[in-house]
Amino acid sequence: MKSIHKITVTVASILVVLITIVACTSTKEVYTPVLEKEVADSDQEFKIEKSGAQLWGEVCNRCHIAPSPSDYNDTDWETISLHMRVRANLTEKESKKIEEFLKSAN
Amino acid sequence: MKKLILSLFVFVFGYQLYGQTYNTFEPSKTQFMLRGYGHTGFEYMDSNDEAESKFLGLTYAPIFLYKHSDRLMFEAELEFKLEGNELEIGLEYADVMYVLNKNITVRAGKFLLPFGTFMERLHPAWINRLPNAPLGYGHDGIAPSSGIGVELRGAFDLGGPRLNYSIYSTNGPRLNDGSEEPEEAGILQFENFEDNNLAKAYGGRIGILPFSDSSAELGFSAYSTSGTGEEDSQYEDVGAFLFALDFSYVKPISPLKGIVDIKAQYNNSNVDTATFIEVHEDGDAEEYSFDNQSNSFYAQLSYRPTMVESDFMKKLEFVGRYSDFNAPEGAEWEEASVQYAFGLNYWLSWRSVIKLSYQTTETEGGHGADGITNTDGLFIHWAIGF
Ligand code: HEC
Repeated sequence: MKSIHKITVTVASILVVLITIVACTSTKEVYTPVLEKEVADSDQEFKIEKSGAQLWGEVCNRCHIAPSPSDYNDTDWETISLHMRVRANLTEKESKKIEEFLKSAN
Repeated sequence: MKKLILSLFVFVFGYQLYGQTYNTFEPSKTQFMLRGYGHTGFEYMDSNDEAESKFLGLTYAPIFLYKHSDRLMFEAELEFKLEGNELEIGLEYADVMYVLNKNITVRAGKFLLPFGTFMERLHPAWINRLPNAPLGYGHDGIAPSSGIGVELRGAFDLGGPRLNYSIYSTNGPRLNDGSEEPEEAGILQFENFEDNNLAKAYGGRIGILPFSDSSAELGFSAYSTSGTGEEDSQYEDVGAFLFALDFSYVKPISPLKGIVDIKAQYNNSNVDTATFIEVHEDGDAEEYSFDNQSNSFYAQLSYRPTMVESDFMKKLEFVGRYSDFNAPEGAEWEEASVQYAFGLNYWLSWRSVIKLSYQTTETEGGHGADGITNTDGLFIHWAIGF
């Protein structure tokens, strides 16, 4: 067991370092929302980005039944979005887009 | 001077008055939500022809969420439960989290451990599709549910597929050495608020969502510690290594006119072999040891006909779950159990559900028991989140 433990700790340490490096070197530090229109206008060669509404349908049903936009007000959606982003390990982009959709449709 | 003070006073007071009269209702930066969930129900159990039935007192779990800024948040959950004739209060979790950057969030405090997905994501009564946890979780379970320590977690967008990770260090488990409860010698206890030695536990989970529609997720978790026993005891260096594999698939399927939801998790626990003492009825003490390996598995399939015409049918859900649990041969708590659970749910809202379930469990061994026990259970639960 001792060797398994050593391997686990080593792998964990390497992962921490790797994650930090990748996270700190990726250039786009802050997510900037892309307007739906811009996406639609942009060259078809680009992959069409999923809308907040579509992401909401796909992501928020994974663990529990997804709440509808009208279930909470904007302030609550901000709190819930941060809570879910961390608990469900969502990417910043997913969670920001879904939050925008929920706040626009409630 | 007097004039100055007076005008200052008028200004400050007037401003306050203005502010109170014409509240602009700007959302404050600090936000607070009190939420939670509760459940109650009725249970009937028939175990080797001994029947038992009871109404359950409501279990109430308030959850406190404080959002201080777009990056900083605090979460805590209390659990109030009527158990036996007493009120049990538990602190399920209490932790702070800070979003360091788009890929890393740090959490510290007592948090639910991402060892597999059941305890962290699926156990709340309004999320779990059946009234109880599968075999292998809960009080006598082998999967750790929470820990006190620090954690880094986050997710990466791989342009379609997604990867999420979590990596943590906690106080770690405590080995029951049998000095107080000889029948539990060798069991790992995870609910410790105080560490009994210097060895910490290290663990983590990596989850991969291979498809861009987030329908499937595969996860691998590990949890390891070099010491679980009391400091300076012969058990100090008894290490443990646990791992889990989890799977989730949720997708609306048009030909089936509904949403199919599959969840599964396998847990394996491997504790270093140690020698324990058994005291016989005549007072003789005997040393014994065993290969301390346990495992458990569950797979659950549920289906909600969300695309049918009938409003009544839309709210129904059909669930089936298989689970098994194996505790080490030679231990006082040696056990091999298999359970089949079936359920029919009626969803009143996205967070409120009435669950009807039938379960049949075959247990070989178990705490102090010999032979085979068959237990049939009928459950009616009502869970609500708020
Ligand atoms: C990986 C699983 C998972 C995913 C994906 C997920 N949730 Fe949750 N959600 C949970 C869990 C677990 C809780 C319960 C938290 C608790 O009680 O400790 C919860 C609770 C909630 C609550 C109750 C309030 C709160 O913050 O606790 C809301 C609202 C909610 N989720 C909305 C969402 C939305 C919107 C999405 C999509 C962005 C989402 N969830 C995606 C697991 C998930």
